[in-house]
Amino acid sequence: MKTGEIVYLPRWRPGGSRVGAHRSRDAGGLGTFRDQVSFLRLPDARRIDIRATLRDPFEGTYVRRFETRTAIEVWALVDLSASMRFEGEASRAELVADLCMGLADSATRIGDAFGLIGCDDRIREDVVLPATRQRGLATERAAGLTEVDFRGGSARGLVDAATRLAGRPKLIFVISDFRWPEPLIEEVFSGLALHDVVPVLLADRAEDENLPSFGLMEFDDLEGGGRRMVFMRPSLRRRWHARERARLDTLRRIASAYGRPPFRLEGRFDAEALSRHLMAT
Amino acid sequence: MTLLSRLGATLPQILWLLPLALLPLVVSSQRRTLVSAIAAAPADALSRTIGWALRLAGIVAIGGLILALSGPYRSGETITRTGIGAQISMLIDRSGSMNETFAGKQPSGAEESKAAASRRLLADFVGSRAHDQFAVTAFSTSPMLVVPMTDRHDAVRAAIAAIDRPGLDYTNVARGLGMALPQFGAGAAQVSRVVLLVSDGAAVIDPKIQGPLRAEFAKIHPNLYWLFLRTKGSPSIYDKPAGEDTPQAAPERHLDLFFKSLGVPYRAFEAEGPEQVAEAIRQIESLERDPIPYTEQRPRRDLTPWAYALAMAGLLVLVAGKLLEADLQGGSRAAAGRTAPDDAADERRLAA
Repeated sequence: MKTGEIVYLPRWRPGGSRVGAHRSRDAGGLGTFRDQVSFLRLPDARRIDIRATLRDPFEGTYVRRFETRTAIEVWALVDLSASMRFEGEASRAELVADLCMGLADSATRIGDAFGLIGCDDRIREDVVLPATRQRGLATERAAGLTEVDFRGGSARGLVDAATRLAGRPKLIFVISDFRWPEPLIEEVFSGLALHDVVPVLLADRAEDENLPSFGLMEFDDLEGGGRRMVFMRPSLRRRWHARERARLDTLRRIASAYGRPPFRLEGRFDAEALSRHLMAT
Repeated sequence: MTLLSRLGATLPQILWLLPLALLPLVVSSQRRTLVSAIAAAPADALSRTIGWALRLAGIVAIGGLILALSGPYRSGETITRTGIGAQISMLIDRSGSMNETFAGKQPSGAEESKAAASRRLLADFVGSRAHDQFAVTAFSTSPMLVVPMTDRHDAVRAAIAAIDRPGLDYTNVARGLGMALPQFGAGAAQVSRVVLLVSDGAAVIDPKIQGPLRAEFAKIHPNLYWLFLRTKGSPSIYDKPAGEDTPQAAPERHLDLFFKSLGVPYRAFEAEGPEQVAEAIRQIESLERDPIPYTEQRPRRDLTPWAYALAMAGLLVLVAGKLLEADLQGGSRAAAGRTAPDDAADERRLAA
């Protein structure tokens, strides 16, 4: 499926020598003018700024510096626990695949690398894609997410994924429904604290706003949490919504402390909305 | 556990299916709704109660059906209880004179023969107390056993209804008593036993039979009531004959004397009309008020309807659960139809 382009800006100045699309921390000889520094700091005689040199009453020699553009790595950390199999208004697995395809497409288009790690209780090696710039490979693997077996009982593997992503800062999308215990949320986000983390919250209206306000329902937990009879009625629905809000507030609080608030993905993947979210936060 | 031991089933092998009743603990009758996390649902005591109630209803429904198929019953039994009453052995005279009125004539018009009067009054007596037991023996020349000792009052009433059939010949009290006495059988000794002799005359008791009769009376020790239906003009029990005082001359008096000499509680009632007969019967009834053990037959009782009712109750609960069922998709349509403003506010809040 063809999705719109996701526009993103890294929040940090990436380093590195690979030429890409993002404004780099490093200054070099090509690109947009950045500043002038003393010749002693950058002894590059080709870039001596004659006007600045002449203007200096202390007769120092100045060299122009230009911003280099570098590439970054965009990673998608996908929660593969069984709860992601949920199908309400939309299939959660398809949403994830759409999002990842959009990311793979948008990243490789501007020369960034796209990597993918799927985790349930541990890292799922069959759903791991090392960061690659090959568009074909990246989109293919992202599209393959629809065929992945969501079967784990938890998302603990994301903690291990954080150690695997050590090194230079990266733009990391953590894609999950975040139905995790609070300590795990904290652990995952703190493990990824060095990176620019974008939590993508998969929600479904059928699971909160659109719950019936009256009737008997027997819920079956996708992650093997058992069955439970619930007698839906307005008061219980209100309590349910209050709980749900409390959960999302907790997630927002933790996520904001480590960077960005979560992006709510529900119904249909909208690249523009994600772009807006990425620009605004 | 006497109750359990009395329960049975026509097809007990079907009961082997009873473990199937535990199925509702494993499988639910409700439609499952898959959710990503059950923890999202708030803990709710009412929901939990309903959940268990439905499970229980499932167990009851399956269990009840299996039980009903096996054809349960409670077997019959005989219960011995204690009531107020007496064992009464009636000895009724069927001699020809019983068909006459108290005036000694053939009944005509509204007149009532002695037999008819005693029939009417005795029939009322039978069944006035629920736990009396009766035996009916008739006698004339020879005794006839009509009904042995029983608590089936209908049978006794039918026997009494038959006593105004035209009578026969003579009055042979001795042989009548000889048959009436063994009717008591070997029961509990503390039961009050009554021999009720209804006759309109007496006869000489052969001295040869007097011995065994005395022995029998001494063994059974019944209360003896003699209801003497005296024909107008005939000698009374208490009249001494003018001439020789021999049993042949005054059989009534000598029978009375014989009864008095038996050593058992004895009363004679002399009745010269239906009113006096009724009065005498009333007196006898009031005298005999002792506890009596009686048996009650309880027939085998089919419990299948109860089992079906049980299953029905369970099924009704399950159907109610089914009717109340809601699901996510239907719910979303309903909510979309409503689009209440507070819902919209909720959404904004959640989406924010």
